[in-house]
Amino acid sequence: MPAADVSQHDEREVLARAEGLRKAYPGLVAVDDVDFEIRAGEVVGLLGKNGAGKSTLIKLMVGVQRADAGRLELLGQEVDLNHHGAANARALGLAVMFQELEIFPGMSVAENVGLASRPPRRLGLVDYRRLHRTVREVLDTVDPEIDSEATIDTLSPAQQRAVMIARAVYQGARLLVLDEPTTSLTAREIDALHALVRRLAERGNAVVYVSHRLEEIMQVTDRVVVMRDGEVVGEMGTGRTTIRGLIATITGNEDGTTAAERRVEKGVGTRPLGPVRLRVSELRRREVLHDVSFDVHAGEILGIGGLVGSGRTELLRALFGADPADGGTIAVDGRELRISSPRDAIDAGIVLLPEDRRHQGLVDTFGIRENVTLATLPAFRAGRLPMPSKRSERSATVELMEGLSMRARGPEQLVAHLSGGTQQKVVIAKWMLRQGQLLMFDEPTQGIDVDAKAEVYALMERFAEGGASVVLVSSEFSELVAVCDRVVVLREGTVVRTLAGAEVTEAAITDACYAGTAPA
Amino acid sequence: MTATRAHTSEAPSGAPRSSAPGVLDFARRNGVLLALAATIVLFSALRPEIFPTLDNVETMLRQLAPLAIAAFGLTVVLVMNDFDLSLGAMIGLGGTTAIVLMSNTGMSFVLAIVLALGVGVLVGLANGFAVAWAGASSFVITLAMGTILQGVEYQISNQQPVFQNIPESYKELANASLFGLSSQVYVALGIFVVLFVLLERAEIGRYMYAIGGNIEAARLSGIRVRELRVLGFVITALCSTVAGILLSSQAGQSSPDVGIPYLLPVFAAVFLGSTAIKVGKFNILGTLVGALFLQVISTGLILLELKPAIVNIVQGGILAGAVLLARLDRANARG
Repeated sequence: MPAADVSQHDEREVLARAEGLRKAYPGLVAVDDVDFEIRAGEVVGLLGKNGAGKSTLIKLMVGVQRADAGRLELLGQEVDLNHHGAANARALGLAVMFQELEIFPGMSVAENVGLASRPPRRLGLVDYRRLHRTVREVLDTVDPEIDSEATIDTLSPAQQRAVMIARAVYQGARLLVLDEPTTSLTAREIDALHALVRRLAERGNAVVYVSHRLEEIMQVTDRVVVMRDGEVVGEMGTGRTTIRGLIATITGNEDGTTAAERRVEKGVGTRPLGPVRLRVSELRRREVLHDVSFDVHAGEILGIGGLVGSGRTELLRALFGADPADGGTIAVDGRELRISSPRDAIDAGIVLLPEDRRHQGLVDTFGIRENVTLATLPAFRAGRLPMPSKRSERSATVELMEGLSMRARGPEQLVAHLSGGTQQKVVIAKWMLRQGQLLMFDEPTQGIDVDAKAEVYALMERFAEGGASVVLVSSEFSELVAVCDRVVVLREGTVVRTLAGAEVTEAAITDACYAGTAPA
Repeated sequence: MTATRAHTSEAPSGAPRSSAPGVLDFARRNGVLLALAATIVLFSALRPEIFPTLDNVETMLRQLAPLAIAAFGLTVVLVMNDFDLSLGAMIGLGGTTAIVLMSNTGMSFVLAIVLALGVGVLVGLANGFAVAWAGASSFVITLAMGTILQGVEYQISNQQPVFQNIPESYKELANASLFGLSSQVYVALGIFVVLFVLLERAEIGRYMYAIGGNIEAARLSGIRVRELRVLGFVITALCSTVAGILLSSQAGQSSPDVGIPYLLPVFAAVFLGSTAIKVGKFNILGTLVGALFLQVISTGLILLELKPAIVNIVQGGILAGAVLLARLDRANARG
């Protein structure tokens, strides 16, 4: 039995301790008898599939949800679970940063940091001079390059994230919870964030780092806690495990396969390519796309790599007519098309599964059925009148739900209540009904768990085998390696390299992103 | 320690809660309907000789019709998350246009009505294009439009009641009755049926709700968002015009400032309606319930010979209460 490498004779201050925490919803125990301890100076990774109970656990800690049973101690103080809430958590020194940035747009950095809590006052009014000075002191420890007087909107997402952390520090937080903090950050920004996390820990704070990105977990954490079905199923020092081991613990399966292994196993990149389906020539749009040219073949999965801001999303949106191109040509099956709206693209068999599914892919107020049939409603007419038959909609939806093994109560369940992976499947189902010839996926696995990721990959492969063309944009280069036959790398709105077959490796993609223009 | 994920039977919090919902949930879901029934019973008990009579029912339905028609129209834009604050002025201008045309030119009443409806369509198009194409805020644009329309109405009527040379046939339109019910009730019913089918049964309605739920997702699904938003404003303006024509026909004249007082009750009916039938969603059946409720309250309070001030306070209180109730409902649903 390997001795636990923390806690045994640990003299470090305990910042959070939970015993027997439990939270049940009708039909589901979300957090089941969970114990944990977080000590000063630690960076703890919290892992698990969607629905494993991570979010609920965090919400119990911060008091957004009320625990049914158990004990919780924050910074040495027993928390009264019945009267716990965000304000109390903050007063005790716990700060949670969810995936979405909680900024006050239009206000300065200093205001964003300082105004939410006891700003310095003079004569009853905010003392801005002192506010800037005190905020400056905090910013110097977080990111000295940020100007406290700048309007928050002018900062990059990474800097905004840093400002959020500065706010927590300013408010005296000792324990910070970061939920998927690196979404939409570049590799360099991720490194900077990790350095900041380490600094915070060294200063005697603790950070709980929640992420599906296992590479980052390996990089930044000291210790990991893995949850599955509401229980803690593994707790180990990060140094004592591997990505493969983590995947195995997360899924409960014995084998954890890496991207490169998957590529070889599935014969990705060795499949014969069909004729050219889509030909893009010299596509331009404002400042974001300059002269983009590439082909996509029938039956192919083409990856588009690049850093944030390289024009990947913009390219897909231009091809889809969401933000139409200013110049250049788009031809499908040899026929040149004018695409000035999503409708034009859809008519031509081009569909886009957008990056931000909550805001661009789903209608929150609709159930699964109404979302799934939204783009193909006329196909469900009962008679000649333009009125959909709910019965035929429902049977098509149920069929898709089974085919995609969606976890939901039924076809009428509101999509707002589904997990991220299931939501993504709803968007996929919508476009499966459309039988598109070219399917573009923008970050389809963002925020979804290992199992659901594998299912999304399998789906893309199924589309390609059926003769469709698939275009995949992903910030996780391992994903491109795992599923893409070829990878086009963008940089500053231009194609800088095309990789095919065995050339497709994470190193090669990363290299192309930074190095730029080597010959293809 | 529980070994595996527990299902319904085991969830501890589920059990105590699940006994109550039967009654409570029903009450919350049907709050407005229950309140409507309760007020009807109440007023019938307090004024048994007047309130629960066929005569009174006929009167209430007739008085209700113009408001309900405008409210049906407003429901369509609200479904898409747009506002139309010009509808009060449009009600006034609709009636005045028809009256002034007949009075000044001796035009036939049919042509006058067609032209008045044409003005309604133009106003709807103007609102719609400003909002959907130019990207203006519907709140501000329709507020401005309402001011303009009111100015136009004052201009063409000299801010005076107009009643000369109105053909009898025009006056008969809103004063005729069939099977004991005013013709206005049938017009309202017809518009109700058309808009019910449009919003609840047709593809267009689904698209409109999608636009209201998530406009970007709707656009990326290939829905003609801009066209449908314009259509919504046209429908609202047309319904308001019809309401205005009925009012002027019933009075046999146009008078300035007939329309504006309708603005708030129309909104009240639709918002009240969003707390009934499909709770939390604007819906046409709910709007009907909301309009009925407002009418019952105002008639009942007048029959009780309360001061108008009290009538206002009670109506406002009911609207605020209903909307808060619906909010509570959603807050609870979220947990």
